[in-house]
Amino acid sequence: MSKKRFTRGKFLAGVAPVVVGAPLAAAHLGRAGGHPEQLASHAGHEHARLGHAAMIGADVPAPGGPNDLDALLKPPPALPHQPGRVREYELVASDRDIEIAKGVTFPAWTYNGTVPGPVIRATEDDLLRVTFKNGSAHPHTIHFHGIHPANMDGVFEVVGQGESFVYEFPARPYGLHLYHCHTSPLKKHIHKGLYGAFIVDPPKPRPPAQELVMVMNGFDTDGDGGNNFYTVNGRAFYYAKYPITVKRSQTVRIYLANLTEFDLINSFHLHGDFFRYYPTGSTDQFEYTDTVMQCQGQRGIIEIDFSNTGIFMFHAHQTEFTDLGWMGFFNVVP
Amino acid sequence: MSSVAAKWQAGTRWRLWALLPIVLLVGVVSTFALAGSPLIDLLGRNPPPADAFDVRRVAFQPGEIRIRVTNPQRDDLTIASVTVDDAIIPFTLDGSETLGRLRSSTIVVPYDWVEDEPIAVGVTSSTGIETVEEIPAAVATPKASGRSFLGYGVIGFMVGVVPVALGFLWLPSLRRARPEWLAAFMALTAGLLTFLALDALTEAFALQAALPSAFGGAGLVLLGVSVSYLALTLLGRRLSASGREQGEGVAASGLTLATLVAAGIGLHNLGEGLAIGSSFALGELTLGTFLIIGFMVHNVTEGLGIATPIADRGVAVSLRRLAALTLLAGAPAILGTWLGGFFTNDLLGVVFFAAAAGAALEVVTEVGRQVLRKAPGGLGSPYVVGGFLAGIAILWVTGLLAG
Repeated sequence: MSKKRFTRGKFLAGVAPVVVGAPLAAAHLGRAGGHPEQLASHAGHEHARLGHAAMIGADVPAPGGPNDLDALLKPPPALPHQPGRVREYELVASDRDIEIAKGVTFPAWTYNGTVPGPVIRATEDDLLRVTFKNGSAHPHTIHFHGIHPANMDGVFEVVGQGESFVYEFPARPYGLHLYHCHTSPLKKHIHKGLYGAFIVDPPKPRPPAQELVMVMNGFDTDGDGGNNFYTVNGRAFYYAKYPITVKRSQTVRIYLANLTEFDLINSFHLHGDFFRYYPTGSTDQFEYTDTVMQCQGQRGIIEIDFSNTGIFMFHAHQTEFTDLGWMGFFNVVP
Repeated sequence: MSSVAAKWQAGTRWRLWALLPIVLLVGVVSTFALAGSPLIDLLGRNPPPADAFDVRRVAFQPGEIRIRVTNPQRDDLTIASVTVDDAIIPFTLDGSETLGRLRSSTIVVPYDWVEDEPIAVGVTSSTGIETVEEIPAAVATPKASGRSFLGYGVIGFMVGVVPVALGFLWLPSLRRARPEWLAAFMALTAGLLTFLALDALTEAFALQAALPSAFGGAGLVLLGVSVSYLALTLLGRRLSASGREQGEGVAASGLTLATLVAAGIGLHNLGEGLAIGSSFALGELTLGTFLIIGFMVHNVTEGLGIATPIADRGVAVSLRRLAALTLLAGAPAILGTWLGGFFTNDLLGVVFFAAAAGAALEVVTEVGRQVLRKAPGGLGSPYVVGGFLAGIAILWVTGLLAG
């Protein structure tokens, strides 16, 4: 603490930010006196909250209702290997205000109305055909990660307002990839929300599992070049309010990708257990750990065989991100 | 028709004519208001509102932080999310979630804050704009109790009443002083008060600058200065008229002048007490013996200022009168520390400091007239000029002690 010098200026500094007063104090006194039961229950409520190390359930300030994000959390099923099969998707860019934290809206640029955009899934050697229509007020593209021809890269073929473009290429290699807009200024087009997960399944199917998709991101709601909220799948604290129920009897497979803008890295940490982490999901090599980190654009596949039932937390192990919304729970049942 | 009636009718007509601009103004304003946005459409879109909150007070209680916020803008503002040290935390509201213009709510946050450590609270609007208030050191906000009431009272007494009373002890010496020296001390009083007026004006403007612009800007200060100046002028005339100086003209002198000086200094001490009290209450000042001593030395000259006008041997002053003058000048400091300590309000602060400035200026005028009348050699005499400059210099130097 800096040395305090008493000056008239300090007096001013003292009075200026303050203000209050009698009306405030009187209002409190009046309330306390008028409704003792209300005050008592109120206080009890707060103590209950303070009693937990983390917020969970109904007390969590998270937007929306249960199962709102299922379309983003649960990917479409993998299809068996069948070279040359056409997989068609349609993505429409639109500008929308979305609720990204309890009561807080963000003027987003979206693919199909959500941030992140829909999960695109194909099996290796499928012919992927993605029709992109730009209904946004700004020019956009879709840039897929993976192996594809130069003219399908979504870098030079900028799609103007009202225009459309068809991306067509064989899906490979297998693994977890991304897609995102690649229009300049890139930072703006990504942090506004134009990205999503792109799963390419291997020719030899992965073992059955409870599959989940988690796209880690952040939202700079006041335009100061730093994120005000961090989420998985677009809503702060959503999975703290609505824990993800999984069975202990079956492997949990998480397709985890990082599309956080402004911050160098993001991370995933699981409480109470370890998991296998397959970077990019493109080989059989894995790391056995409980914490992984990814820079923007990195992704990988997590496989958890839960040892115990109960409530287990997962969150970014940058505690700041945790506190600003990137935190949730698994409810592991037998 | 008689000419009287015609005259009356003509008078009425012109009175009605005077209403015409007002009627037309109402018409234009309502047409413009009803037409809605065509003018704005012509000029292009308005920029979006800033959506920043005005954080008025952050109070710390064991296990709890209370954040008072006001909506300073025309558009409604909704409290959506609250952070403490960059962490979103659950909160309850004492007041409305959506705030109209200049409406306030108190955000109540259960939080285990750390004593003496810096802390930042953030309030985010529904549009995602975060207003962050950084507190240099978290200190428990004192609750009103008998002890703290007494404590603030003692501080006010020490910095207000005691120095003024001590200053009065110069009275016997002043009574034996030669006229030119008495004039010098009168000029010294004027110097002191000029310093205090400028000081109070600066504080009023600084406080006013921190208020939401909707509160009328610098005009509020001007209003405070003018009202107190005119009120004191009126008070001076009343006192002169009812006193034995009747017939001496409008200029106040003797006991009247001393009363005016005491009233002016009292208003200043009220503002000073308010500032001290609120600074202590917010933990922005460390209470120290040296600080109190500094203020006492600083304010002792105020007693001298009040004593000088009654130093004239012709003026009889009872001890009771002296005590009354002391209380008039010093006791407001006690009231100020209580107000500042328990019900700090920066709008009140602006008004008090502006009033203090106006009062001090008025008294400078009165003292100037008195000096002009009584001083051997008039305003230009070296005693008067020297006294005036010495008054300013003394307050500046003793102010360093308090700083």
